[in-house]
Amino acid sequence: MSGEQAMGDMRTAYGSALVELGRKSDSVVVLGADTTDSLKTAAFGKEFPDRFINVGIAEANLVSVGAGLAAYGKTAFVSTYAIFLPGRAVDQIRNAVAYPTRGQKRGLDVKIIVSHGGLTVGADGGSHQQLEDIAIIRAIPHMRVLIPADSVAVTGLTRAIAAEYGPFYMRMARSKVPIVHAKSQEFEVGGAITMREGSDCTIAACGITVSMALEAARLLAADGISARVLDVFSVKPLDTATIESAARETGCIVTCEEHSVLGGMGSAVAEAVGESHPVPVHRVGVNDAFGESCRDAEIPSLLEKHGITPVNIADTVRKARKSAR
Amino acid sequence: MGANYSKIRRCVRRARKLVIKSTTLAGSGHPGGSLSMAEIVGTIIFSHMRHDPSRPLWEDRDRLVLSKGHAAPGLYSNLAVAGYFEESEISTLRKFGSRLQGHPDWKCPGVEFCGGSLGIGLSFSIGVALGARMDSHDTHTYTVIGDGESDEGQVWEAAMTAAKYGVDNLTVVMDRNFIQQDSYTEHVMPLDGGSVGTDVSKSRSDKSLWRTGDKWRAFGWNVLEIDGHKIEQLSDAIRRSKAAHGVPTIIIARTIKGNGVEHMADNPAWHGKAPDPSIAPLVSDELESQAMIAPSIIAGDMTDLAGEIRRCEEGGADYVHLDVMDGRFVPATTFGAAKIAELRPLTLLPFDAHLMINDPLDHLAEYVDAGADIITVHAEVCDESSFGEIHDSLHSSGVGAGLAINPATELPEWAMRFAGTLDQVIVMSVEPGKSGQKYIESSHEKTRSVCERLTKGGFGGDVEVDGGVTPGNVGACFEDGARIFVGGGAIMGQPDTRRAVDAFAASITRARRTRLLVRAGRLGGGELASKWISLHKNEQTRDELTKLAEGAGVL
Repeated sequence: MSGEQAMGDMRTAYGSALVELGRKSDSVVVLGADTTDSLKTAAFGKEFPDRFINVGIAEANLVSVGAGLAAYGKTAFVSTYAIFLPGRAVDQIRNAVAYPTRGQKRGLDVKIIVSHGGLTVGADGGSHQQLEDIAIIRAIPHMRVLIPADSVAVTGLTRAIAAEYGPFYMRMARSKVPIVHAKSQEFEVGGAITMREGSDCTIAACGITVSMALEAARLLAADGISARVLDVFSVKPLDTATIESAARETGCIVTCEEHSVLGGMGSAVAEAVGESHPVPVHRVGVNDAFGESCRDAEIPSLLEKHGITPVNIADTVRKARKSAR
Repeated sequence: MGANYSKIRRCVRRARKLVIKSTTLAGSGHPGGSLSMAEIVGTIIFSHMRHDPSRPLWEDRDRLVLSKGHAAPGLYSNLAVAGYFEESEISTLRKFGSRLQGHPDWKCPGVEFCGGSLGIGLSFSIGVALGARMDSHDTHTYTVIGDGESDEGQVWEAAMTAAKYGVDNLTVVMDRNFIQQDSYTEHVMPLDGGSVGTDVSKSRSDKSLWRTGDKWRAFGWNVLEIDGHKIEQLSDAIRRSKAAHGVPTIIIARTIKGNGVEHMADNPAWHGKAPDPSIAPLVSDELESQAMIAPSIIAGDMTDLAGEIRRCEEGGADYVHLDVMDGRFVPATTFGAAKIAELRPLTLLPFDAHLMINDPLDHLAEYVDAGADIITVHAEVCDESSFGEIHDSLHSSGVGAGLAINPATELPEWAMRFAGTLDQVIVMSVEPGKSGQKYIESSHEKTRSVCERLTKGGFGGDVEVDGGVTPGNVGACFEDGARIFVGGGAIMGQPDTRRAVDAFAASITRARRTRLLVRAGRLGGGELASKWISLHKNEQTRDELTKLAEGAGVL
C-alpha cells in the first residue's frame, strides 16, 4: 500500500451519509446495538433522537425491530459489527427481513450495514474477524451484498441503497483505508468499476483489496503484464456482463477479498465465468481458516499470512496466466 | 356498555371448525395451539381491532401479529370468518400454490407478519409500534406470543426494548397453554421457574406456582393475568391494556391446548398432528356442542344480589342470567335497569338480561346503558316490526339480541326472518314469573322443534332453556339442541354453587359424550366409536366412554 495515498474512514462516511439522508426524508430510521459510537451512527441519533433506536447488545432483536419498522413503512438502517450481523441474526435476516414479499416488493426495506469485516479487525482476534458473511448473506434470496472499497464508495453506496427499495447488506472495514475512487465516482447497485484497463489478466477485487489489486497491477506492469483491475463492489447482484467481458478479453481472472475463498466474491465470479466464458479463475482470500489477534501495526503480517497482499495477488496472476495457456 | 359476546363466540366456534377442517385436509399442521388461542385471536379481530377485510392494507388498520406462527390455522380460520377471503380457501392450507402457507405469510390477506421462526414477532411488533409512534399514527398493534416460544432469548431482548421505549400502542397476549412440542412447558423449560425434579403436575391448576407474570413485571411490563377462553376477560384486559400509558402491556391468557375437543384438550400429542379424516366429523360436531351455564340470581337471596353475583363467579358460571319482571307482563316484579347498572361493576361475567316486560322497545335503551351484554325480549309483546327495531338497535349498540317464547307460545313465523343474525332464543320451560316450578315435560319436544326450525333458517346463535332445569334433566335438554341452561333453584338455591354448577356440567358432558358416541356409531359403527374412545389419554375417561357406548348400544 502506498504511504502517500489519502486515507479515508468508512464509518465516518457512513455516519455523515445517514445524517444527510435523515434530513432529506422522515422515513429514514437508524438502529444500533451498543456500537453506535463506533459505527458513527450516534450522529444521526443526536440530530434525530426520535428516529434512532439503540436496543443494546441484542442483534436478533435489532434486526427484527428494524423489520417491523420497515413493515410499517420506514427505511431502516441497522448497524453493528460484521461478526454479529449476520453472525447472531442469520435467521432474523432470512425470515424477518428477506422473506416477506408483497408483489414486486421482495423483502423488507432494511439496510444491514456492518463494520469490522475481515482480518483487519486485528487485536480482537479470530472470534471477531468475520470471514464468512458474504457467503452467508449471498445465499439468501432477495438479499443484495455490497462491499465498498473506500469511504467514497461508502458514501455513494449508502445513498444508492437508500434510493432503492429492499434489503441490502453492506460491509465496511474497521481501519482507515486508502481512497481509490474519485469523489465524482458514481455507484450503481449491480455495477462494477474498471479501475485500470488491462489485456493480459483481470484482477477482481472488493473492499480493502481494491487498493492491493491496483498495487499488484503496478508490480505486474513492471514485468510487462497488463492487468485489468475491477472493483466488484456489488457482489450480489453481480455485474456479470463486465466480468464476462473481462474473461473474454483478458483470458484469466484472479479474485481477491478479505473473506473466505469459500462462497465469497471469488466464488460468485467463478460461478459467473463458468457459466458464461470459462477461463481460469484463481481466488486469493482466507483459505478455509480463522484469523487471529494482531496489533494494528501487525495487520500487514496477518494479511500476508493469508496471502492477501499485492505481491501474492501478482504471483497468483502469473499462475493463472500459466494455467490459461 | 355491554358487548355482543355471543357473536364473538359464534365466530370463534366457526373458526375452530375451520382449524379442524383445514388441518385434516392438509394432513398436517398444529391444531392444538390454534384451538388454544381461538378466543384470543377472535376477540381481537371481532371486537377490538380497527380493520377492514376488504382493504387488508388500509393504512389506518390496527395490526395483528401472530408470533407463534405454527398456529397459522388458528389465524387463517379467524381471518376467513372475518371475510378476508372465502372460507372455502381454507381447504388449500399447506398445499402447493396456496396463499395459506404452513406458517403465516404475506401471501394471505390479513397476515401482517411472516412468522414461524419463533421469538421474532414481538421484536417485529415493537418496530411496527415505534414506527406508528414516530408518525403520531394512532394504529394499535396486537401480538400473540406462545409460552413455549418464550424459551427464545429474543423474546426477553424484545421485552427490555419495549419497556425502555415505553411502547404502549402495543398489546401482547401470551397464549399460556402450558404445552410445547416435546411435552408440558414446565417439563421442557419451566416458564414458571421450577427445576428438574420439581413436581409439575399442579402447574396448571395451582395459582401459587405461577411465576410467568412476575418475570414480565420484573422486565417493567404492565401484566394482566386472565382466563384466555373467557371473551369477557379478554375484552376487559385489552381495554385496560389500551388505557395503560407509557408502559407496555402483556396479557397472560391461561388457556387449554386443544380446547373445545375433549381428546385434544391439554394433550401434548396434539401440538403438531392433524386429526384423522374419519374422526374429523366427530370433532366438528363436538365443537358445536359447547354448552354454557347461566345461573339466575333471582333464585338466590334477592336482598343480596351483589352476594349472588359473587356466588356466580365462584361457582364458575358462564353467564349471569337476570330475570327482569315488571309486574305487568308477569305478575311479579324483580328489578330493572337501575339495579343492573348497580351490579354491573361487580363482575365481568356477561349479563344475560331476560326482559319479561311489556313494551320492551320503550325501555330497551335503559338496559343497553345499564351494561347488559345480551338482551332478550318476549315474542308475546312484539311483532315483526317492533322486534326488527329492537334487533337492529341492539346490534348497532354492540349488544346481543334474543327472543323468548312462553310455554304456550310457538316461535312466530316472523322470527325466522331474523334467524341468521339472532344471537339467542329462550324457550321457557316453566310459566314465567313464578319461582319453584317444575320443568314442563313437553318443553323437550318444543325445544327440539324450535332448534330444528332455527337450524333450517340458518340460525347460528344459541337456544337457551329457562325454567326447572336441574342436573337430572339438563342432559336431555342438551340432547334437544339447547346449549345454554338457566339454573334457578337447582344452582342459586343450593348452598354450594360450585358443586351445583359442576353437577350441571357433568350431566351435560355425559350427554355430549353419548351424542358423539351415537354419531360415531352411525358414521363408522363400533369400530369408529372404539377408535375415538382410544384417542382420550385419560384411562378413566376411556372407561366412562366405553360404558356410555355400551349403554347406548354403540358397542
